[in-house]
Amino acid sequence: MMTTQILVIAAFVILFSTGLVLIRAFAGPTVFDRILAVNLIGTKTVIFLTLLGTIGGRSGYLDIALLYALLNYIGTIAILKLVQYRRLN
Amino acid sequence: MKQPGSIEEHVVIRVTSKMLIPYIMIFGFYVIAHGEIGPGGGFQGGVILAAAYILYCLVFGVEAGSRALPRRAVEATMALGVLFYAGIGVLGMFRGAAFLDYRVLLSDPASAEPLGMTLVETGIGFTVAAVMITVFNMITEPTAVSGPENAPETGESKGSATS
Repeated sequence: MMTTQILVIAAFVILFSTGLVLIRAFAGPTVFDRILAVNLIGTKTVIFLTLLGTIGGRSGYLDIALLYALLNYIGTIAILKLVQYRRLN
Repeated sequence: MKQPGSIEEHVVIRVTSKMLIPYIMIFGFYVIAHGEIGPGGGFQGGVILAAAYILYCLVFGVEAGSRALPRRAVEATMALGVLFYAGIGVLGMFRGAAFLDYRVLLSDPASAEPLGMTLVETGIGFTVAAVMITVFNMITEPTAVSGPENAPETGESKGSATS
């Protein structure tokens, strides 16, 4: 029971910090701030999904978290390449 | 191929992508195969498979991607996946049941249903992967796939050649 409460508190902390990162994504002066913020939101989503899966006792969330980590990596590389070279090929 | 300043120069991206791509593909096949008992299915697994190829194209270039997976093969996979899907359905019809009725594929209906579902999901997965790869190819090279009569007027190269 105690563990579940701690996990719920951790999930809310993650949600709150995701809001803070969202502010940085909107306010960021350079494009790299925004990319870093979006990447960080993806990482926080992975942690949040893992916490949700642990709280609910459903292992299916872990698959989605793993997938989110992989796609976050690909998306960040694609956006960085688009920013630096102005094309994808 | 390896111009200075291109993305092929970045050793961190190259090595991490080389390490990740097999695992992304394994995860895609896992999602396809576990579609009926977990989250996912043919569509999602196909998108993950296509994501692996897109990452390869992003890091090593579209030319290397075309060499690894030729356009003709992608287009053939697009049609063959649908054919596989429909073939499983028609196989049920041949064995005396409705279209896409998996229970008659094996003698034991309880084990035939997951088998039929997995086979259908495999067909969907390959089709979706091929379609996503084609979408990415069309985004990166818009003129390579359009026909001569309805080619978009992209301007200077064609105009300078004719004038």
